[in-house]
Amino acid sequence: MIKIYTTTYCPFCRMAKEFLKDHGFEFEEINVEESEEGFREMVEKSGQFGVPVIDIDGNIIIGFDRKKIKELLNIK
Amino acid sequence: MKQVIILGASAAGISAGIYLKRAEIDFLIISKDIGGEMLTSGIIENYPGCEVTNGFELTKKFEANLKYYSIEPILDEEAIKIEKNDKIFTVFTQKNTYQSNSLIIATGSKPKTLNIPGEKELKNKGVSYCTVCDGPLFKNKVVAVIGGGNSANEAGIMLSEIAKKVYVITKNEFMKGDKVLIQKLLSKENVELITLGLTQEIIGKEKVEGIKFLDKKENVIKELVVDGVFIHIGMKPNSEFIPKEWNILNEYNEIIVDKFMQTSIPGFFAAGDVTDIPFKQIGIAVGQGITAALSVIKYLRSLE
Repeated sequence: MIKIYTTTYCPFCRMAKEFLKDHGFEFEEINVEESEEGFREMVEKSGQFGVPVIDIDGNIIIGFDRKKIKELLNIK
Repeated sequence: MKQVIILGASAAGISAGIYLKRAEIDFLIISKDIGGEMLTSGIIENYPGCEVTNGFELTKKFEANLKYYSIEPILDEEAIKIEKNDKIFTVFTQKNTYQSNSLIIATGSKPKTLNIPGEKELKNKGVSYCTVCDGPLFKNKVVAVIGGGNSANEAGIMLSEIAKKVYVITKNEFMKGDKVLIQKLLSKENVELITLGLTQEIIGKEKVEGIKFLDKKENVIKELVVDGVFIHIGMKPNSEFIPKEWNILNEYNEIIVDKFMQTSIPGFFAAGDVTDIPFKQIGIAVGQGITAALSVIKYLRSLE
């Protein structure tokens, strides 16, 4: 299961979402600008406030780190 | 072995790639990402051909240019070292080595850091270099923008719409940059401009709690309680991998180029924000990228 924590205009969040879509992965998006609970959850998981945060089966990726996403999702 | 290697895939690098492709040159683009710092630009209203766009949309358009020409850049790799031996360049990245007859460096720039206590420790814990990304998380909070130029102006304006209170702290006597932006910034009721202020420390344990700055007018250290600090004090070129002994960097570590985007080393070209061009603009980077490509084509012919 993939969860991505975002803000509306954050370009790296948009890049990350497109990257996942382009590779055929579904994800749940949590806009932490709109959801205080989502924000708290993100801070709890990642220990920081920067977006995007991507949760892939419990593995937390901070930022649009293409390399790590590829590793975790086995994208060649 | 390629004819050309382009390092960087933003405005300059992609523009160069388009022209090399059309000239049927065998080349490679190697880059950490697509768009670089351009991606983090907020609203863009000065790029001809697009009335209003933003960093994300414009990056996607440049990416579409690559797709149109079936140019596939090698991503997630960065040059860490380059060498030249007998007219052949070798580029070393974290995992591979590549060789070519010529190089176009279009690696752009990155935000400067203040290098003060608390900055590194509290990065992403209230310290941010991307207001477009992290600004919205400071709804009704108190924030400080550090910087005295256009990106500080823009950050201050954006944050004034989100935060309760925005301090803009510049070490200069007044804000620099576009008059339109400065006026807009100063017209905001919740913005307080602090001039001649030297930021000295970011305070906080788990997250940002405040900042300390030297008020040069009164020569005393002052403290402000803030939840976020947005640092926009300019950019520095991504040129660390260029050997110092080549003597092609100026005092700001920018690559010195002539009007052909040629450096003093034959076959070695550069374009965009990594160069010593006085104006760092997307439109200018595009033009420089094209110039570099056309110059490289001429250089390659001279080798035949």
